[in-house]
Amino acid sequence: MYRATATRRKARSTLVAVAMLSPALIALVLMRVVPMISAVSQSFRHVSLATGASEFDGLANYTYLLTDPGFHSVLVVTLVFNLVLNPAIVVLSTALALITAQRLPLVGLWRSMIFVPAAVPGAVVALIWSTALQPDGLVNALLAVVGLPPQPFLTSASQAAFSIGIMVTWGALGYWMIFVIAGLKDIPDALYEAAAIDGAGWWRRLFSITLPLLKRPMAFVLIACTVGSFLLFAPVQILTKGGPNGSTNLIMFDIYNRTYLLGDVGVGQAEVVILMLLLAVIVAVQFRLLREDRS
Amino acid sequence: MRRSRGGTAVLTTAAVLAALAVFLPVWWVFVSSTRPGNSYVDHMTPLSWLAFVPVGGDLTNYSGLLSGPFLTGLFNSFLVAGLTIALGLAIAVPAAYALATIDFPGRGAVFTFIVLVAMIPFDAIAIPLSGLFQDWNLSDSYAGLVLPALANGFAIFVLRQFFLGIPAELLEAAEVDGLGRLATLWRIVLPLSKPALIGAGMMLFLSQWQAYLWPLLIGTSPERQLAPIALANLSTLFTVDLGQILAGSFVLTIIPMVLLLFFQKQYTESLSTTGLKG
Repeated sequence: MYRATATRRKARSTLVAVAMLSPALIALVLMRVVPMISAVSQSFRHVSLATGASEFDGLANYTYLLTDPGFHSVLVVTLVFNLVLNPAIVVLSTALALITAQRLPLVGLWRSMIFVPAAVPGAVVALIWSTALQPDGLVNALLAVVGLPPQPFLTSASQAAFSIGIMVTWGALGYWMIFVIAGLKDIPDALYEAAAIDGAGWWRRLFSITLPLLKRPMAFVLIACTVGSFLLFAPVQILTKGGPNGSTNLIMFDIYNRTYLLGDVGVGQAEVVILMLLLAVIVAVQFRLLREDRS
Repeated sequence: MRRSRGGTAVLTTAAVLAALAVFLPVWWVFVSSTRPGNSYVDHMTPLSWLAFVPVGGDLTNYSGLLSGPFLTGLFNSFLVAGLTIALGLAIAVPAAYALATIDFPGRGAVFTFIVLVAMIPFDAIAIPLSGLFQDWNLSDSYAGLVLPALANGFAIFVLRQFFLGIPAELLEAAEVDGLGRLATLWRIVLPLSKPALIGAGMMLFLSQWQAYLWPLLIGTSPERQLAPIALANLSTLFTVDLGQILAGSFVLTIIPMVLLLFFQKQYTESLSTTGLKG
């Protein structure tokens, strides 16, 4: 008798749980899982521009991409861009976190000022910096103050990717800083007190306590930041369209370009799949490396 | 950490310089946006103090924006962000509450699924999804703009972490008093959960306010463009004053800035929850 009520109650609460979870699960499946599956299945098909008919095409889209020199240069540009950008963001945001996590006069204000760009939409970051990087913009004005000649920035094949890197870093630093600060707060004060008794100086404490214990939040920032940077799109689409000379043709813009401007849906989806595989591999490798380091 | 007085001075100087350097572009955008048309350029070469002090300007750039597509965009951005917060929380709160308080078979698997799916970066699948939205007749509609942002696994995650911290005795006491599960959630749990609701709400808001690729693909007709798209389109016209672009940029910046002024604590705490447990 008692047992039966218990079972019935259990069944009832399972039913309630299903009801409460189903809107979220349906949304996640339809908005995240289904498009991923659709990208994979479309990547094996060819859509005729003339008739709109779609037919199975095997690996044709992949072989086309992998033998296309244009795609090779997209990969190189994307990888080099990320190889420089992400470590720079991790180092700078950690440095800012180390400074602004201290007890200093008005530190909350300084921290908030550094965080502000994180709230600026990526498209607006691009617009602000494209104005600041104009020949008669803020950056060249500041260069002139210290006696340097004006730079072409976004219009030069050798400086455009760097200029985009600067704006992305500016928009990202404060955001990632928050995660490092959270990590710093998790380090027990007792460790520092013990080190102080042992006579360890500031640098010594930084290198033997703080940085080793920050490995986990820093690894998180590196991984999350890499994913974000691989998906960079707005500044390229708004400012450079991949140019000059393909020097800023990052993979997301190339996917957009192939799918919408060239109308090559199958190849575009194959590139989406390659991007997702690439990200999965990079995240797995980073995860692995940073994990082994810890043990 | 104890420091010498000299150490404090060095660190404070570093903090102030870093803050000023990072904040300078935003300030410059504000001051330049008050110079009519493109006249901010006059203070650039050579760089004069007027480039950073907002005196003698006016609001013509702002009034110029009010008569164009930017105003429609701004209205749409508010509408879409507001709907995203309301519906996003309405979906995430019950899901998180069920995960945190109901012991049902498969709970661990459901939670793992949500965390894993949350890690699929949305922009990577935005292009295939926009193709599907075309088939589902959702292109160029408000529903199309809002729906993908409602699938926010991180908001569920943050709320669940918070609900887990609510003492079980409190929930049992409510049950003994004869409150049903939904009444307990509504009357006891939610009033206690303001920080997590604000944090999750900010995440939902910013995910929508910062979006660019998705609204570019879906909000295609001028009546349904969001503000960043309208502003970016405006910037490609050769006839437009850069002063107006800066004014629009400042509007799109100041809105999340003011919200963060009030809610930074809750938002950053929610962010750190996703980072450290994830």
